[in-house]
Amino acid sequence: MSNEQQDKPVKISLEKIKSQDKIEVTPINPLQLVEENEQQEAAQIVFKEQTKGGIKRLFWPAFSTLVIGAATFQTYQFIQELFLTNAMLGMAGIVVAGAALVSGGVALFNGWRARRRLANRQSAQQEFKRILQQDSYGKAGHSLQELTQEISEYVEISVLEKKYQSAKQQVHNDHELIQIYSNSVLAGLDKMALDIISKHASEAAVMVALSPLAIADMALVAWRSSKMIQELSRLYGCPQTAFGRIDMTKQVFKNMMLAGASELVAEAGVEMLGKTLTASVSTKVAQGIGIGVLISRMGIQTMSLCRPIEFTEQNKPRLSHLRKAIYNKVVGIVKNTDRDKNEERVKSPIIDDITQND
Amino acid sequence: MSEKDWFKESYYTAKQLVERGLDKHVRIAVTGLSCSGKTAFITSFINQLLFAADNDRLPFFDMSKQQRIVGAKIQAYPDLHIPEFRYSAAIEYLTASEPQWPPSTSSIAQSQIKIRYKVSNRWYKKAKEFSSLTVDIVDYPGEWLLDLPLLRMSFKQWSTQCTECLGRGSRKELAQDWLDSQNKTQLSEMYDEQSVSEIAQSYRAFLQRCKQSKANISLIQPGRFILPGELAGAPVLDFFPVVDESILAQDWSSFEAESTVRVLEKRFNYYRDKVVKPFFYEYFSKVDRQILLVDCLSVLNSGYESYRDMQFTLSQLLQSFNYGQSNWVKRLFNPSIDKLMIAATKSDHVPPEQHRNLEAFMQNMLQQARNDIRYEGIKMESMAISSINVTQPVMAEHDGKKLMCVQGVEQSTKETIINFPGKIPQQPPTKQQWSDLEFDFVNFAPSNLSPGALPHIRMDKVLHFLLGDKFL
Ligand SMILES: Nc1nc2c(ncn2[C@@H]2O[C@H](COP(=O)(O)OP(=O)(O)O)[C@@H](O)[C@H]2O)c(=O)[nH]1
Ligand SMILES: [Mg+2]
Repeated sequence: MSNEQQDKPVKISLEKIKSQDKIEVTPINPLQLVEENEQQEAAQIVFKEQTKGGIKRLFWPAFSTLVIGAATFQTYQFIQELFLTNAMLGMAGIVVAGAALVSGGVALFNGWRARRRLANRQSAQQEFKRILQQDSYGKAGHSLQELTQEISEYVEISVLEKKYQSAKQQVHNDHELIQIYSNSVLAGLDKMALDIISKHASEAAVMVALSPLAIADMALVAWRSSKMIQELSRLYGCPQTAFGRIDMTKQVFKNMMLAGASELVAEAGVEMLGKTLTASVSTKVAQGIGIGVLISRMGIQTMSLCRPIEFTEQNKPRLSHLRKAIYNKVVGIVKNTDRDKNEERVKSPIIDDITQND
Repeated sequence: MSEKDWFKESYYTAKQLVERGLDKHVRIAVTGLSCSGKTAFITSFINQLLFAADNDRLPFFDMSKQQRIVGAKIQAYPDLHIPEFRYSAAIEYLTASEPQWPPSTSSIAQSQIKIRYKVSNRWYKKAKEFSSLTVDIVDYPGEWLLDLPLLRMSFKQWSTQCTECLGRGSRKELAQDWLDSQNKTQLSEMYDEQSVSEIAQSYRAFLQRCKQSKANISLIQPGRFILPGELAGAPVLDFFPVVDESILAQDWSSFEAESTVRVLEKRFNYYRDKVVKPFFYEYFSKVDRQILLVDCLSVLNSGYESYRDMQFTLSQLLQSFNYGQSNWVKRLFNPSIDKLMIAATKSDHVPPEQHRNLEAFMQNMLQQARNDIRYEGIKMESMAISSINVTQPVMAEHDGKKLMCVQGVEQSTKETIINFPGKIPQQPPTKQQWSDLEFDFVNFAPSNLSPGALPHIRMDKVLHFLLGDKFL
């Protein structure tokens, strides 16, 4: 058996090799150690195509063809009419239609790319998770290097990267390498991400607390959270465009629903504390803080979506830190403006409840 | 004294009390058979702590990663009767122009390291920004460790065990001299100092032969017969096990008090109660954390008999440390060990892609012993480490095959070599498979070590496991 021979020990004196030149020695670079058969194996496992009902499957292609066809036809007719009125007007019509077509195409393309990036990130997350469960050696280095390149397209991370490079050793296995990467490069990004979240959340909180219109609040939330998602996704190297963001927001909400129940239970205690805190401020301020917390939640979910290596129980970002920052900011600002306006404070309904119960 | 002054004073005292309460102390027991790498481990352990304030090679030691360690220093040890561990001498050996491993330990030695660090706990932080952790670590010859199982044996039980052991491996041939001299005397008759002393002499010679034999025999008892320390030449050491089956079968209380058997028993009891027990009492009382070092490489080199022998020895040791409720170490010494690490040492001899196999091999070797023990409230971890890494991994092509090897300076020839030691199996091989396996773990000498932080493999994980939770 050829396999057995490979298991026998071999000892070579380097001095002797140099004279005989029979053996080729290269310092190893774990990055080059991606095993081929592993890739083959992965290629063999493919998702079976999902079979949807024949007619149902036709809906979207047919519908979009219809819409696009109708639109093209209408535009064509419209430009033709313009030409009939005036040649210059017709030309202008063509230019405008062309511009719309091109910009629309580019936007679609970018959106598609952003969505693909997100999908790729998600599969990278799964891949790292899989490696973390194995006892392999020499497979992770390559993927981590690719990841660094991906992120550094958008963010300057050479300081964090240096930290990673100096901490890792050739003897580290895949599990350890991924952990070191997560604790150095990604931990640095996490810190920045929390700053971003805290900034957007408290800004939104202050705006809601100060805004007189309830409807405006909705728009505010949508605007701030969208902005935050954009910044966060960019930070982790998979920036989302307007189109992509909708997709992402959908996922963020889905995750929040899933996480919702358990998270609520876990944080019930903190939530209570939050309530007693908010009890002493006005309803509007309490609403603001509520919005801030909601946006923070969204931010944390976005982080876990974009982060290539999943959070562990130890490094998972906690809502309680953010909550405190938001509270301080909102109460600080609102108190100042309150004093300026010399307005009367509204008592919180919670306090009302308590007094009524007594 | 005005009221204000009084208030200030008591506030100050209270604060001092809190501060003193915050200074923590941890005592670490390093256990391992001789040549398992205790001295090298302790040297590296101290070294990593001394340089932890500014060392980015400790990614898994959170205290260092978060840069919370301000500094560390070796303190003069308050117990003056225990010699100090000679850390700087060890470093000198390693970094000399002709580097060597520190010489093997012949007696007990102890070191105390004080680590100053930033407090991160938000309550304690209010009382004190910085605090310190004092770490005690003890080195002693591994030979003496083998006396630990004697503590729960009677002379008769020990003799029975020795008789069983003689049947295994190459012991019988090595023991021939001693067995001959013992057979000449009637053990149940009145004792004669001259002949007992002679037999004891030949028993000690037998143990020395075991120690030096190529078969890598682990179980050599009593430990001080090999390394007597201050007991050299004392009559306490003049005894030996009774391996005569006919005598073992009899009831010893029928023998005269002056019979050889009873005298040997008395000496054994004295050795057990007056030499071994105080040693372990002093050593194990107040121990908080324990690390057991296991050298799997010598076992792999020597084969099946050696494997079984080490397995038996380590099982005995682990049972002695039975951490459960009603164990006898606890009753005797009342230690409060709450964490145990089992480490396969010298993993720098093994190409990194096989580290996992080394870990699995060790875990499997100790599986039975670990199953037998109930570790109540004890956190346990095991991994492959290297206290001082003196090799580097390389890829070499041999006979058209790519092999991951290690490159380093061979101890015996002082030549730079590339070594593929063989493939470590994860499952312990059967006796038949052992004979087909071939290993060649050569000893590597230290080379190119600078006096700064020593290169290591997974010492950061060890530090984190043993000390991490002791920092506030
Ligand atoms: N390459 C290597 N060899 C080691 C290491 N630790 C111990 N050794 C070897 O093991 C021998 C015995 O080590 P030592 O610490 O004296 O063992 P002790 O008897 O348990 O104190 C040393 O002389 C070295 O040859 C290590 O981390 N790496
Ligand atoms: Mg030693």
